[in-house]
Amino acid sequence: MKARILVVDDDEALSEMIGIVLQNDGFDASFCYDGSGALEAFRESNPDLVLLDLMLPGIDGIEVCKQIRAESDVPVVMLTAKSDTADVVRGLESGADDYVPKPFKPAELVARVRARLRPNETHAAETLTVGDVSIDVAGHRVTRADKQVSLTPLEFDLLVTMARKPWQVFSREQLLEAVWGYRHAADTRLVNVHVQRLRSKIEVDPEKPQVIQTIRGVGYKAGTAS
Amino acid sequence: MSEHATTGNEIVPVDARAQVPPVAPAFLRLKLWIRRPIEWIRQRWQRHLMYRTVISTLLFTSLALLAAGAFLSNQISSALFSERFNQISKESERGLTQARSILESASTTDRVSTQSLVNSTLATLEGDGATVIRDFVLKPVPVAGDENLYVGPTASGSLTTRVVPEDLAESVQNNSGIFWRSIELGVDSGRQPGIIIGTKVLIPPGREYGLYLVYDLSSVQSTLEFINRAMVFTGLVLLLVVGFISWSVSRTVVRPVADAAYVSERIAAGDLDRRMKVAGKDEVARLGTAFNHMAQSLQEQITALNNLSAMQQRFVSDVSHELRTPLTTVRMAAELIHDARENFDPLTSRSAELMYEQIERFQNLLNDLLEVSRFDAGVAVLDRESTDLNVIVRKVIDIATPVADEYGSIIRFNAPAEGCVAEFDPRRVERIVRNLVLNAVEHGEQNPIDITIGQNDSSVAVTVRDYGIGMSPEASQHVFDRFWRADPARARTTGGSGLGLSISMEDTRLHDGRLETWGKKGVGSVFRLTLPRTAFDSISSSPLPLEPSVTEEIVGLLGDSFPLTGEVPKIGYTPLILDDEDILIEDEISLKPTDPTDGLGESK
Repeated sequence: MKARILVVDDDEALSEMIGIVLQNDGFDASFCYDGSGALEAFRESNPDLVLLDLMLPGIDGIEVCKQIRAESDVPVVMLTAKSDTADVVRGLESGADDYVPKPFKPAELVARVRARLRPNETHAAETLTVGDVSIDVAGHRVTRADKQVSLTPLEFDLLVTMARKPWQVFSREQLLEAVWGYRHAADTRLVNVHVQRLRSKIEVDPEKPQVIQTIRGVGYKAGTAS
Repeated sequence: MSEHATTGNEIVPVDARAQVPPVAPAFLRLKLWIRRPIEWIRQRWQRHLMYRTVISTLLFTSLALLAAGAFLSNQISSALFSERFNQISKESERGLTQARSILESASTTDRVSTQSLVNSTLATLEGDGATVIRDFVLKPVPVAGDENLYVGPTASGSLTTRVVPEDLAESVQNNSGIFWRSIELGVDSGRQPGIIIGTKVLIPPGREYGLYLVYDLSSVQSTLEFINRAMVFTGLVLLLVVGFISWSVSRTVVRPVADAAYVSERIAAGDLDRRMKVAGKDEVARLGTAFNHMAQSLQEQITALNNLSAMQQRFVSDVSHELRTPLTTVRMAAELIHDARENFDPLTSRSAELMYEQIERFQNLLNDLLEVSRFDAGVAVLDRESTDLNVIVRKVIDIATPVADEYGSIIRFNAPAEGCVAEFDPRRVERIVRNLVLNAVEHGEQNPIDITIGQNDSSVAVTVRDYGIGMSPEASQHVFDRFWRADPARARTTGGSGLGLSISMEDTRLHDGRLETWGKKGVGSVFRLTLPRTAFDSISSSPLPLEPSVTEEIVGLLGDSFPLTGEVPKIGYTPLILDDEDILIEDEISLKPTDPTDGLGESK
């Protein structure tokens, strides 16, 4: 079955062009041209992935992203004309999984879409434990102190990737490749923001992380620093 | 025991020496004690106009008062004296003439009658009708060998004949007129000014005497002293009043000036709304009004300029943003067409290629413009992260290697094995290094590119050296200017926007780092980036030299004799097939070490 993609962008020419590219690569695209109708269009089309422009008439992209996140874990990839740190970080913090800066190449866009749609490999029954957090990999469930924590698929992948090798320090580049599927160097802020989001959900005190440690100058690792 | 004694003896001089030093500090302290107030006054004198005005006014006023006082005192005393003297001289002349005529016309012949006559005559002189208390002295003119006198030396009051000065006595005995002198009366403790007036008289039996009248001028003296005291007192009061006046006058003048100075400082510091207080319509108020007027127009100009530049920056930023969306569409369309170009006829196919390439270039230019507009608007923010500079440079080398291969250069990398961790914005630093390396590749004339990393306590540095066309000192000054080209005629081959190095400079500035360059025509150039290790460090000196120690030669062409320790580079190393030509290159270098670039250029 073709994956359905919702494109939310106010520029109709660009939307149509994106649609052509996506259809070319075997996706099914639906469109929405403003922010206020985005959530309705999302509910209607029930897509597998949302391509979301940050600057939209009506409600802006960041708000739309928050609305979608509130009711679904569907992957959201932002399209952004501003690659300023503040905007990108704001978008990522509002729940987007990834972003593609304008102007982008068709191949780049398709690669980002494919990476997010990557079917979750069927997990063997496996339970990982980091600190007081336990992860049921097959069941896609994370619990801390017997309470379930709700994670997006991306956050789940990030946590599982690190939890599987607690002895290893992951550089941001390694995480970008393992979790986001970037072959080449990309924006390491993606990692920083999502580690922050993940920490805010699973750490007791996100200011003094116990589950995911920062190793200065290198990257991150799961478990205690010692 | 003897040993103990010796030890004791040895200690004594040490103690004695120890006791000496305290004297010096005490002396020094005293010196300091004197110097400190002087220093304080000196500072005040130099810094405060008011202080200077008041002190100099007081100084000059007291000088003037002293002079006036001295003059007045002198005038008064001489006037008093001459008035009193006139009176005295008239009185004494009358008295003396009268006494002389009585005594000279006397016909007494015996000692007793003569004595009584003299006594009664002299008694009339004493205090008789005189306004000033006077005494008399009668002193016989000494005649050698004759002791037979009817009347001996006589004096009234507490006087004796010693009060008569020698020279006056001499004048009196040799002449017949009336003579006078100023004298001092009384004993050591209470000396008073006085006048003595004398003439010669004959007393029976025809003996010559000096008759003197002594006037006490102590009342004049006390009047004078009283006047002097009054003048000193008046002077002091006057001085105080003048001091106060000069203080208050200088205050009214200096205060607005000090005010103006303060306000200008505030305005210079950026507080453009600051104004002076204006009261009244005098010169000071005019100064304030004029000053405020100036500040107002300055503020308007600055605001206008600010608005203009903000508008321009916003315009550039908006244009760049607005261009992005259509550019994205165009680019995607171009790529689709480009991918399908095999189905077109050759002309259309080539057009598709050209369009695709130029859109790519257009996009890079747009990206750089947007970045520059961000710097200009001051919205560029630094995202410091603890990062290993080695890793960043390696990443750049990975990106640059295909380009270097295309140009025929190899990239040699020399880095400390222990890593080079510092806090900087990895994206920006990567961009700087990438710009430098691609720039070196472009201008490297197929010669190797050397990348070296160094570090010290406060900073980390990377140098990128090429052995290419090099540049003149003027060129190295302009190389960071926007859209600047060393040689306008030179074709742009890598399709750079001309903004790369100026963006690198802005990125470096954001880090409080340094980006410097050295170059020599025909020899090559060096770019050195130095970054503080953390946001709190400041660069004292760069860990790497800017100017290479060996400038004329390409050190170790094949990379295996690289002079610095550390990692011998393999990255970007393009294996050379050593055919005849390549051996020729090496030969030429060893033969002509002064100009290796020419030799290379020809042989390749």
